Amino acid sequence: MRPLALAVLLAAGLLAWWLFSPRTPPPSDAPGIGDILGGAPEEGFERALAPRPFRFPADHGAHPGFRNEWWYFTGNLQTDRGRRFGFQLVFFRNALAPGKADGQSPWRTHQTWMAHFALTDPGAGRFHAFERLSRGAAGLAGARPDPLEIWLDDWFLKEKDGRWRLYAKEKGFSLSLSLSPRRRPVPQGEAGLSRKSAAPGNASYYYSVPRLRAQGRITLDGRAHRVSGLAWLDREWGTSALADDQAGWDWFALQLDNGADLMFYRLRRKDGGPDPHSAGSWMTADGRVTRLGANDVRLKVLEYWSSPRGGRYPVRWRLRIPSLDVDLKVAPVMDNQELDLLVRYWEGAVDVAGVQAGKPVRGRGYLELAGYGD
Amino acid sequence: MNGAGAGPFVRFENLTRTYRQGACRRPVLDKLHGEIRRGESVALLGRSGCGKSTLLNLAGGIDEPDSGSIFIDGVCITGMDEHARTLFRRRNIGFIYQFFNLVPTLTVEENLLLPLELNGWSPAKGRRRCRELLAAVDLSDRAGAFPDQLSGGEQQRVAVARALVHGPALVLADEPTGNLDADNGRQVLELLDRLVRDGQCTLLLVTHSRAVASRADRILTLTRGRLSGVEEGALW
Amino acid sequence: MKTLLWRASLRYLGRHPWQTGLSMLGIALGVAVVVAVELANESARRAFDLSMQAVTGRASHQIIGGPAGLEESLYARLRRQGAAPLSAPVVSGHVTHGDYSLRLLGIDPFAERRFRNFLGYAPDGQGEGLLRQLLTRPGAVLMSRTLASRLGLRVGGSLELLVSGRKRQAVLAGVLHPPPQKAAAMTDLLVADIATAQELLGRLGRLSRIDLILPEGDRAAAGAVEALLPAGARLTPAAARARAMQEMTRAFAVNLSAMSLLALLVGMFLIYNTMSFSVLQRRELLGTLRVLGAGRRDILALVLGEGLLIGAAGTALGLLLGVLLAQELVQLVTRTINDLYFTLGVSGLFPTPAGLARGALLGVGGTLLAVLAPASEAACSPPRAVLDRSRIEGRAGRLIPSLAGAGAGCILVALLLLLPGRSLVLGFVALFGLILGFSLLTPAAVALASRLAAPLLGSLLGVFGRMAVRGVRASLSRTGVAIAALSIALSATVGVGVMVGSFRLSVQQWLEATLRADIYVSPVTPSNTGNEASLDPALIAAIRSVPGIAGISQGRPANVQSGEGITHLYAIRMARGSYAGVELLEGRPGTVWPLFDREQAVLVSEPYAYRHGLHAGDSLTLDTDRGRREFRVAGVFRDYGADHGVVNMRMSLYRQYWDDDSVYSLGLYLEPGVDADTMVEQLYALAGDRQALRIRSNRTLRESSMETFDRTFAITNVLRLLVIAVAFVGILSALMALQLEKARELAVLRATGFTPGQIWGLVTTQTGFMGLLAGLLAIPLGLMLAMLLIHVINWRAFGWSMDVILPGGVLAEALLLALAAALLAGLYPAWRMARTPPALALRQE
Repeated sequence: MRPLALAVLLAAGLLAWWLFSPRTPPPSDAPGIGDILGGAPEEGFERALAPRPFRFPADHGAHPGFRNEWWYFTGNLQTDRGRRFGFQLVFFRNALAPGKADGQSPWRTHQTWMAHFALTDPGAGRFHAFERLSRGAAGLAGARPDPLEIWLDDWFLKEKDGRWRLYAKEKGFSLSLSLSPRRRPVPQGEAGLSRKSAAPGNASYYYSVPRLRAQGRITLDGRAHRVSGLAWLDREWGTSALADDQAGWDWFALQLDNGADLMFYRLRRKDGGPDPHSAGSWMTADGRVTRLGANDVRLKVLEYWSSPRGGRYPVRWRLRIPSLDVDLKVAPVMDNQELDLLVRYWEGAVDVAGVQAGKPVRGRGYLELAGYGD
Repeated sequence: MNGAGAGPFVRFENLTRTYRQGACRRPVLDKLHGEIRRGESVALLGRSGCGKSTLLNLAGGIDEPDSGSIFIDGVCITGMDEHARTLFRRRNIGFIYQFFNLVPTLTVEENLLLPLELNGWSPAKGRRRCRELLAAVDLSDRAGAFPDQLSGGEQQRVAVARALVHGPALVLADEPTGNLDADNGRQVLELLDRLVRDGQCTLLLVTHSRAVASRADRILTLTRGRLSGVEEGALW
Repeated sequence: MKTLLWRASLRYLGRHPWQTGLSMLGIALGVAVVVAVELANESARRAFDLSMQAVTGRASHQIIGGPAGLEESLYARLRRQGAAPLSAPVVSGHVTHGDYSLRLLGIDPFAERRFRNFLGYAPDGQGEGLLRQLLTRPGAVLMSRTLASRLGLRVGGSLELLVSGRKRQAVLAGVLHPPPQKAAAMTDLLVADIATAQELLGRLGRLSRIDLILPEGDRAAAGAVEALLPAGARLTPAAARARAMQEMTRAFAVNLSAMSLLALLVGMFLIYNTMSFSVLQRRELLGTLRVLGAGRRDILALVLGEGLLIGAAGTALGLLLGVLLAQELVQLVTRTINDLYFTLGVSGLFPTPAGLARGALLGVGGTLLAVLAPASEAACSPPRAVLDRSRIEGRAGRLIPSLAGAGAGCILVALLLLLPGRSLVLGFVALFGLILGFSLLTPAAVALASRLAAPLLGSLLGVFGRMAVRGVRASLSRTGVAIAALSIALSATVGVGVMVGSFRLSVQQWLEATLRADIYVSPVTPSNTGNEASLDPALIAAIRSVPGIAGISQGRPANVQSGEGITHLYAIRMARGSYAGVELLEGRPGTVWPLFDREQAVLVSEPYAYRHGLHAGDSLTLDTDRGRREFRVAGVFRDYGADHGVVNMRMSLYRQYWDDDSVYSLGLYLEPGVDADTMVEQLYALAGDRQALRIRSNRTLRESSMETFDRTFAITNVLRLLVIAVAFVGILSALMALQLEKARELAVLRATGFTPGQIWGLVTTQTGFMGLLAGLLAIPLGLMLAMLLIHVINWRAFGWSMDVILPGGVLAEALLLALAAALLAGLYPAWRMARTPPALALRQE
């Protein structure tokens, strides 16, 4: 679920500020995430009400009838000589209003796009994050299903000869990866329907491609590196928002060396307790998927990192799944992986170590922490 | 003034001045020689247009001769440039005219202060000196009046005071009584006489009146451009 | 510190309040005019900068295209190639709402962040709502609250816009609260999403330009952008574009400045006059001061100081008056710029310290210059107590030949200055040289005239006449200056009057020759935005089928790039009757028209040819949508329509090179017997609600063109009047001083038995003689000025040639004006003389 609220933001207060302020860092008095989850009213948009079969490649493309949608790529990479990097490239789509916009201008649209691009360089202890915004018209940003293409300016995901190419570039920094899936898409929730609260329709369609072989090149501060590694794609679309009593979420996407992958998001209530709609799944190499409910996963914060910009993030965790006899420790490759963009949140590469059924397991993954940055 | 005691105080040497009138030239002074002693009061007699005023203007440094020299207390003023001559005049010479020539936009006291200010006196010292002189010419009560509020005799008394206020060594007077009635004239002459002697000034007075001239220590007459007919002593 | 000397001179000024006051007034008026013009010019410039700034924002470069703008896909291409991360598309145009002409600026909010900050001016907490409306609500516009209240609009209210004569409905989505220093630039600005702007302006698929921020000095970045540009699009520094626009108004500004300097010059004469008079009057006093030991430098400082005092007081007053006057003037300047150059939405006075300082410097400096002569004259006065005036006048009389010599030299140099080059400024230097030379000649002319006039007036008026004339001659040192001042002011009116008259007649004749069609049709647009507007094609088709129309010509004005500048192109499809309306100045019809109609050739207007040094047979380069192309100059034609010049091109050639098939205007040739006025009514009915049209018969178009012409010269007329006002004050003060000084002489006359009436007669004869003389002298100078203005200034400033036409009215007017001023000036002294008991005047000495 997680970045749903991020995308909702596109409709909200900070956007106008970001679009027109020449300064880059948002002002300290920016509204908190909870305050700005208003967004466009839900009336008129399609809702995720019942499970539906996913059809590919069509469902890799956009679903403009829903308010929000995203393509969320994260991954851990390394050079031949073992130097590690983390990356995140995400495309958010958000509709300002339902339906097609009236008017003849090719610029006229209700669709807006935002993309975030981040690189983690634990060797140098550096973290870099960038963002782009655009309207989904006039060829500036958009999505096409077949051949698949998602783009915003010169950042894109493009299918060619059965492979995906993922590309983003900023002055001195770039990412250019070729991605090939190692798993079929895994529907999350109830056969792809992911409920966010008890209210009907406050749900999304959600699938993941938990393992993508990644190969390519990244550039940091003007220096290029050949890299390879594993990436993860999260796809979600819907017309939903956090419930009034929800404050944020913690999201785990872990790839283990025994072939299993774990996705779990914990929705946090404002009173500090976990929300019963927290959920996830355990996906093994042979394609079996075990759904996890709020009570199946025990989470304990081991350590916090305090952001110099304010707020503290729980960056080290102990994660247990008693029913699967899983006991893992999750630690970031570096502490400061906070994206100080239009929205401030923490999203970074992590290492995993622990045991399952008495056997040691190790792994890598991504952790997202939202709703802490104030 | 260097006060070199010996020799004449004012000396005219070979003085020539010619005026151009239309096409013809009219010599006014012609190789004129003459001397005035220190402290002496000299009257210069002559008919209208004989060159008396010219000689007076030359002596005051407000006109220049065509040739010849004038020495005042041993200093050759005809050799000076305009600026030096102005400074010399400011310091050493006092003028009195037939038509008073007071500055109409200055009060009586200010008219007296003017030469003092030009000579760099301090205002306080200057005002004291002015009061002295105004008392001497019996005009203490008119200090604040403007010239056009005074009678002719009063105006000329102010002019006399102004000519002497800065203690000049040489006072030049051009028909000082020419514009006054007999009583006022006599009063002004007596005043002039007294102040000149009090101040140990040398006086050169131009007049066409023998009566006026007779008050001087010595009378010179100017005829055909030269000084002649020197009469010594008081004649009354 | 010679405080007593100062006190004496201050009291002198105080005792002559009329003289002092009038010369102060003269300088004040002169300075006021200079300051007002300076401020008005500067305000217009600043308004232009501001309005450019508001829409250019922080852009360092712009990509611009041909008359139809840019193909919008270029922007996506730039973004998707990553060639210009900081780039923002703009669609802009002029619209009208009621009587207001507004700029509509269409932006892409997503790209705006680094360029402009309009949404940042949203009231607290409303930014998001405004943005959402801007993007999702068709027709949504934002404006400053100042504009909203001026238009009487409330948020949510709808607003009818006229775009190229077509009605469009917009909605006021919200108001912005810009900080005060930005507010002025937004007083005519509507901000909309780029989609809304395209829809409202009817420019789907096109961009007006793309703004860029490129790293300074990064040739590679610029190169990367340029590599992606299609033919016809070009990358240009944002400042260069603004400069090119501004350059168009330069000649206009220089002309105004020169006119204002003329006023100051007359003011300088005035103060010269006053000061020389006061020096003369105090000749004896100054002599006395010298005898008392005041040095030459003291006297010089004294007179200069007096002059400076008057000058400084006058200047201070002038600055005040100038700012007041500028309020009015800036309206005139803005209107003229709107009429002639481009739409300047922002208006208002922006008094800058620099502008005021320049005015102050000119005022005080001018005074100093004017006082220098009398001051040095005073300093040279010998230390003599008694001087008779005849000797002074004698000296002045002896000076006459050398003055006249200097004057002749001055005129000669001025004329020599005209020989080389085409510098406008040098042209004005020559103009002022001519004026100066002439004024130096004036005393000689006065002397001569009075010698000649004495027997004449003597025989007419007897001893009065002779006395009056001799009085003028006897005090030549002052009368000369007074007459010179008046005649210069008058000659300026003659010169400018003849120039404007000739210009007007030429324009009238040109309009008659050029406007051949019976009816002209164009959409209703703000002035000077014809290049943005077009006629509805369906309407053109409908008009075509109206019976009674024998032929139709079509026109489309367009601004295209040529090298670093902007060329005004006029694409025209000529009707058969159109050809005769073009007066060819170069090229013969037999060779020109086949070239124009069939080859890659154009016609250039006379100012265009002058500015670019073009002649028939040369070629010129224009940036077309197909790239840079050469066009042959088939001929040069007479055109007073645009001072920056225009290039005429046949419509088919234009459309071959530019992707623009719009038509702005039609010229309709009616069949014989069809009534134009009836046809106009018929066409209005035909257009109905489809498009607001301006349909004018030949006659009304001609009339409204002449109205524009007259409006353009309104400011010239205002300046002309001001110059006369200064001169009038001058002659008034000079004559009054002269007559008051003669109080004693007149008193003697009264004592001798002159009646008050006779004194009146004497004084008015004298001043009248002087006025007449000034008027007569003004005529030759005025005509010379007119020649200079027409053949040098106008030609160099605008490249227009025209015939000099002598309007008798202007000359008679100048004479009458001179007489009236002089007689009026004599009234007070005469009245005073006549009623003062002679004894009082006699008692003075």
